[in-house]
Amino acid sequence: MQHKLFRLHAFVFNWRHIFTEELVALVLVLFIFIAPASAAMRFQERSLYMNSTVPGATTSYTVSFRYMSPQPVGSVDMLFCVDPIPYHACVTPPGLDVSNATLSTQTGESNFAILSKNSNHILLSRTTSAITTNASSYKFDNIINPTDTSQSFSIRLKSLTSVNGTGAQIDFGSIKGQVTDGVIIETQVPPMLIFCLAQEVEENCIDTNDTFYTDMGTLNSQSTLTAQSQMAVGTNASGGFAITANGTPMSAATNVIDAPSTPTESKPGTNQFGMNLVENNDPDVGENPEGQWANAIASPNYSVPNMYMYVPGDVVAYSPNVSLMKKFTVSYILNASPSLRAGVYTTTMTFIASGRF
Amino acid sequence: MKRFKSIVIAGLSVLVFAAAVLPAASASAQSSAALSIVPKKNYVIEPGKSIKDTLTIRNLDSEKTLELTLRVVDFSYTDDGGTPKLMLAEDAPQTTWSLKPYLTIPKSVSIAPNGTKTLNISASIPAKLGAGSYYSAILYAAGSADGGNVGLSASGVTLAFVSVPGDVKEDLTLEHFGAYNPPTTTDKGGYMFITEAKPRFIAYTLKNEGNVTESPVGSITLKNMFGQEQNIDNINPNSSLALIGQTRTFSTCIKLASEEVEFNGGTTQSRSCVEPDLWPGLYTATLDLYYGQNGNNTQEINHTTHFWYLPWWFVIAFILVLAAATYGIWRLVQKIKGRNFANQRRKLSRRRK
Repeated sequence: MQHKLFRLHAFVFNWRHIFTEELVALVLVLFIFIAPASAAMRFQERSLYMNSTVPGATTSYTVSFRYMSPQPVGSVDMLFCVDPIPYHACVTPPGLDVSNATLSTQTGESNFAILSKNSNHILLSRTTSAITTNASSYKFDNIINPTDTSQSFSIRLKSLTSVNGTGAQIDFGSIKGQVTDGVIIETQVPPMLIFCLAQEVEENCIDTNDTFYTDMGTLNSQSTLTAQSQMAVGTNASGGFAITANGTPMSAATNVIDAPSTPTESKPGTNQFGMNLVENNDPDVGENPEGQWANAIASPNYSVPNMYMYVPGDVVAYSPNVSLMKKFTVSYILNASPSLRAGVYTTTMTFIASGRF
Repeated sequence: MKRFKSIVIAGLSVLVFAAAVLPAASASAQSSAALSIVPKKNYVIEPGKSIKDTLTIRNLDSEKTLELTLRVVDFSYTDDGGTPKLMLAEDAPQTTWSLKPYLTIPKSVSIAPNGTKTLNISASIPAKLGAGSYYSAILYAAGSADGGNVGLSASGVTLAFVSVPGDVKEDLTLEHFGAYNPPTTTDKGGYMFITEAKPRFIAYTLKNEGNVTESPVGSITLKNMFGQEQNIDNINPNSSLALIGQTRTFSTCIKLASEEVEFNGGTTQSRSCVEPDLWPGLYTATLDLYYGQNGNNTQEINHTTHFWYLPWWFVIAFILVLAAATYGIWRLVQKIKGRNFANQRRKLSRRRK
């Protein structure tokens, strides 16, 4: 066995003089520098300037980018799709039309003309020639903007050696664009946020009991005072909604009944104000959220039965996306210590419903 | 004369009583607290130009008038989600992205029961204002109640965003990417590397250090251990924004279902996550993300991550199979050893003979 190892070592030792460490390093460096040069590269400094971003408007687009590979270019392919990823199927942005586009200005690599075009495709062509100026821009007139403001669109670019857009690509990359002013599609309602609040409300907000305050009774150190109010909320906005609770804890002149900042059980005999948005049995107050939309929920801190808290400005309920009507019942508890100063303790809870961004 | 005096005194008394009672009555009259508003407005305004627009507000109450006072407040972000943090204090310092100085709105509005009002608003951008995003919120506050221990007041908010075109600073950094568990009433959620439950969401967290709000687009490719791919074509289906300075988590469904639902007399599209077709094992997720404002460079972020989906039933089945295989191999080894031992004993006994 030792004899075999000795022979292997003798064999390798001889080759070591041919494949020196320097030679191995050189081979590795060649791998790093030569391989990318022959592969397709991404265009750099890619941008799109839309002269108007109004949906459906006829406007001009200026497409700019920097050529990265030194290979001669004979054509530049521009495909307008919703999705920027080059190897995904192309879906034409709704409303977009580049079939009447004209190439009005070109800077940098020039002498291009439009060889072919249809509603979402432009092929620029020229006599194949080497890249001399990397940063280039091309202005197209008579392009009709997409109409859908809810999604962006992309221009998938690629340069090719051939003059007709065939063969292997040289450089590639995508550019993002978006129309921004809203349009109302007749069959759809514009985004809206519906919100109602009272002691009792209907889930769809068509009716409330028009009572906006609650008298909780007389404080004592042996029992917990309770109250509840209701609110219903819904939105067709894709971003959903959020409701925050605002207002100071209960106070009488300068005396304040503090609220715990984390979920805490009701403790009679201590000064405590708190709320939650679920059904409780200690004390018996509140109801669970009502409505079929599961994505509209009470915030985790305000969803623990028999645990109460209140931090002004906290989000008490939210939905991350479209949520039609949902009703929340807010439960309030109030405890007092024997040493609490006499007075009429009051607060005004302002619930603010907003969209999300 | 005496009779005249008494008539005058009686008249004055009625006037004084009316003056004392009527304002009190109107002060205690509570406004409706049921309203419908526009949640968000987006504008593109070039420096030196202005726009005029309308806000439609509906009073949903069939009996009470909706009395609203309006004001513009600044907002930022609450956390890594899309909930605005409203700066309600009257003396709150103005943010650098505030739209307050440029937005003009009515101070108050009164809307009859079941009525609708359209308010005129305008935004004027000074010629020297730099390119970027500017945003504030329009707060509609209904009157608060008198009486009781807990008074209730309802308010609504419209978020207003203005984009001023030009050369802007765009800088998004990817902080996290992977399988994601969104917050629920019982769980605060977060990223997962190993998950026992079938993941429904993939998320990415971006830090925005530019001077514009960003709404990234792109796709995510999910590949299992056997190379089978599925694509998530829209990584920002709600066109959510990363505000200036915000670290924002964008979550997207691995499998998305859309349906048309009726809402307030029209239809709207509702999207929800459904259970994806995933088998237990290791997954590789690749993110291709693009962002960029009109006229500015399109930026690109590419990243790859991995996560394991290992349900308990699979782990238990795997352990059982592993244990069975180990036992089988051990038995086999024992059997072979036993056979060799027997053969050796047989050989030894033959030699002795």
